[in-house]
Amino acid sequence: MRRPSRSFRLPELPLLAAMVVVAASLAGCASKPPADDPEAVAEYTEANDPMEPTNRVFYAVNNGLDTVILRPLAVGYKYVVPYVVRSHIHNVLTNLSMPASLFDDMLAARPRRAGTSLMRLLVNSTVGVAGVFDVATDWGWPAHDSDAGMTLALWGLPEGPFLFLPVLGPTSPRDASGFGVDVATDPITWVGSGVLVSSLGYTRWGMTAIDTRTNVLDDLDKIKAQALDPYATIRSLYRQHRQSQIDEARSDDRATVPAWFVQPARP
Amino acid sequence: MLTRRILLWSGTAALAMMGLPRSPARAQSLEQATAFIEQAMKDLSFVVNGPDPMADKQRKLQAIIDRTVDVNDVARFCLGRFWRAASPAQQSEYLALFHRVLMINITSKVGEYQGVTFTIGRAQPREGAVVVSSIVNRPGNPPNKVDWLVSFDTGSPKIIDVVAEGTSLRLTQRSDYSAYLAHNNNSVQALIDALKQQATQPS
Repeated sequence: MRRPSRSFRLPELPLLAAMVVVAASLAGCASKPPADDPEAVAEYTEANDPMEPTNRVFYAVNNGLDTVILRPLAVGYKYVVPYVVRSHIHNVLTNLSMPASLFDDMLAARPRRAGTSLMRLLVNSTVGVAGVFDVATDWGWPAHDSDAGMTLALWGLPEGPFLFLPVLGPTSPRDASGFGVDVATDPITWVGSGVLVSSLGYTRWGMTAIDTRTNVLDDLDKIKAQALDPYATIRSLYRQHRQSQIDEARSDDRATVPAWFVQPARP
Repeated sequence: MLTRRILLWSGTAALAMMGLPRSPARAQSLEQATAFIEQAMKDLSFVVNGPDPMADKQRKLQAIIDRTVDVNDVARFCLGRFWRAASPAQQSEYLALFHRVLMINITSKVGEYQGVTFTIGRAQPREGAVVVSSIVNRPGNPPNKVDWLVSFDTGSPKIIDVVAEGTSLRLTQRSDYSAYLAHNNNSVQALIDALKQQATQPS
């Protein structure tokens, strides 16, 4: 007896992938520089963006949508809602995604990170009043980035060529698959059905979009104003940021000793 | 018996190596880089949070940047392989423009940094330079992890890169320029013309 329970669907990823493939075949691929120019070839390889013409089309589409919808919302949100309230909302949203993070930490075989995620979920959901207050950070379990894309990276999966997808923005085949996994492993995706549940689901995803957009408001404005080629700048920033998140996860060997416990001697 | 003697010797050698102090020059440059960044951050927050009118702040900020950042080195890095393709006249024009655009980009945002505070973290050697990590706190914004790459190539410590949340300023700038060049027939002159526009239209 299976309930049709999934309350909210982002545009399905296979559909997105199909759209990208179709658009790619229409728009063509970036032309590879001639082999007698090794430095240009090295640059082409480094950019790893064979679908650049298509990606740029989607970048323009997203940019247009952002200018008329998401950015004004983020500006209004930042203007109307004080920072303290915004950070509490951010805490609640982060706490809601914690089960998926815990799952990713476990699959990535990072027991200490998984322990931190578990404690963050338990402490912040109870003492932190449904995630409003980030008590866990003060108690010695600080937040860290983890998602299924990072887990796949730690498994050794290469990121693949750069993608710029509608709605999702800058990503890669690996990270886009990871996003799909995170939506699928999110318990809230599977809980209940009905008008209330689905409207809560929409609210949550909408708030996540606004919260994320607000956090990069100044940076993105700066990029658009100062970069000669904002698309290439965002591509570079996305890659570097992902790599640093992955490196941090890989080299994270901290002991998860809570702040109130006897601290281990430092070497 | 030979094996035992070899074992004994190698054991002694290993012990001796472990007991050796770490290279004093390296430890000193780590300390020096940390002190340098600490002072630069102090100067910077003093000007940004001070009572001066905006124009004075911008002028003082410019002086600090000129003193602490190896702008020419950053500029050459950002042009990458095209530096050699440029004529000497283009090179000097590019350096001057890069300097001016960088100053505009930094000083035009000085108001946003009101109330900024820093915490300096640890220093580590990286690629012949030293990385000094720090946390930058701006009121109304989540804290940012910022690493400063300090080089001693000119004899005195100079900042050659800023890495914010894992993203390097000079690497990002280089991808921006190289993408622009790729779409403009790899013409350095086109880049110089674009920079000229940026230098005359402060954002």
